[in-house]
Amino acid sequence: MTRDIRYAEARALQGHRAGFASRVVADLVDLGVAWLLGLSALVAAGVIGYLVTGPPFRLPVLPNWLDGSAAAAIAVGYLGVSWAATGRSIGKQIAGLRVVDGGGRRLSLWRSLTRALLYVLFPAGLLWVLASRRNASLQDLILRTAVVYDWAYHPADEAQPPVTRPSR
Amino acid sequence: MPDSGRSLVPRPSERAPVRPPDGRVDMPRLLAAAAFGLAVEARRRSLDAAAVVVTRVGSPLRILAGPAVALAQGSVAVARHHLDLDRWAARGLAEQQRAREAATRAIRGVIAAVTAAVLDQVDLDQVVARVDLDRILDRVDLNEIAARIDLDEIVDRVDVDAVANRIDLDAIVARVDIDAILARVDIPALTEEVIDEVDLGEIIRESSSTMASETVDALRVQGMRVDGLVSRIVDRILLREGQRQTGPLDEQPRP
Repeated sequence: MTRDIRYAEARALQGHRAGFASRVVADLVDLGVAWLLGLSALVAAGVIGYLVTGPPFRLPVLPNWLDGSAAAAIAVGYLGVSWAATGRSIGKQIAGLRVVDGGGRRLSLWRSLTRALLYVLFPAGLLWVLASRRNASLQDLILRTAVVYDWAYHPADEAQPPVTRPSR
Repeated sequence: MPDSGRSLVPRPSERAPVRPPDGRVDMPRLLAAAAFGLAVEARRRSLDAAAVVVTRVGSPLRILAGPAVALAQGSVAVARHHLDLDRWAARGLAEQQRAREAATRAIRGVIAAVTAAVLDQVDLDQVVARVDLDRILDRVDLNEIAARIDLDEIVDRVDVDAVANRIDLDAIVARVDIDAILARVDIPALTEEVIDEVDLGEIIRESSSTMASETVDALRVQGMRVDGLVSRIVDRILLREGQRQTGPLDEQPRP
């Protein structure tokens, strides 16, 4: 499904590498989504425990190491699967971004999961976007990936839609 | 003879049949006619007698008759000259003309009087009742009549404003029982019909999705602008020259 983009400047930048602000917004949204997923998992575990052991209903309390590991696993799984599936997690969908490889194609699952793991382990790598001439984070440099503006709702495997190139 | 015209052509005052239906006899006319008939008979008999005399007496009498005829002709000429017969003839002709005109006037008066009397006796309503109007109407081509009527001209002569001004709309509206009308309208059924026709759900979906997508687009554009702003600020801090190479991936060398 495609639709017209009313903003000329946005049309001109489709397929270009996204800047820092947009990516931060997308990642903050994804952080919230991951947190909700973790909370949902806790609630689900609580419900299951309630059904098995009976009242009172309470959320399970995990040890710290397991808590952190579970949160990281949820985040990596969510981001990796969504990037590999469509190239865009919920946050990137809202911000109008898409994660692609150097040729503009969808990432493989392992590349995508690796990228997600690197982000979870070292989120500060995103700051390199500020300094990079190609708006690349450390993870992008390592895995040769990129995040581009892509508002169109086209399948991720298709090439980037033809865009009007900005006059330089 | 001047007086014969007077007797033969009746004046209005004299007009009456010789023998009217009531049996009375108009004596003057009867006497005049009888005298005329008597004169004709006398002339005929005298001619017969003369013929006998001529036959029997013969030529001697003819010899005597020649001067007598001449004398008579001369007498007539003299009488014509001295008695002014032409004047009498003119007078008679004028009298005839006058009598003819009088007769015409009288006949016209009679016709008028008779017509009035007939109409008095005739019941027009009954006459009309016996007329088969349908048969008459069948023979009338109303379309042809209508084709001859210039309606535009008639309408042009009608002052519609004046007619409208004479209509008291308030009075008409006041006579309308709106409650009764509304009572006859099944509003719930009507409402359901309207709702069935109008796909409200589709309208709401379309409008809300449009609003949502426009809101998202506006946020994305703001993100793009902030991206550019942040990049320029950082580049200025780092004393970089030229723009970042953020163009389409196909143009970028693989890192």
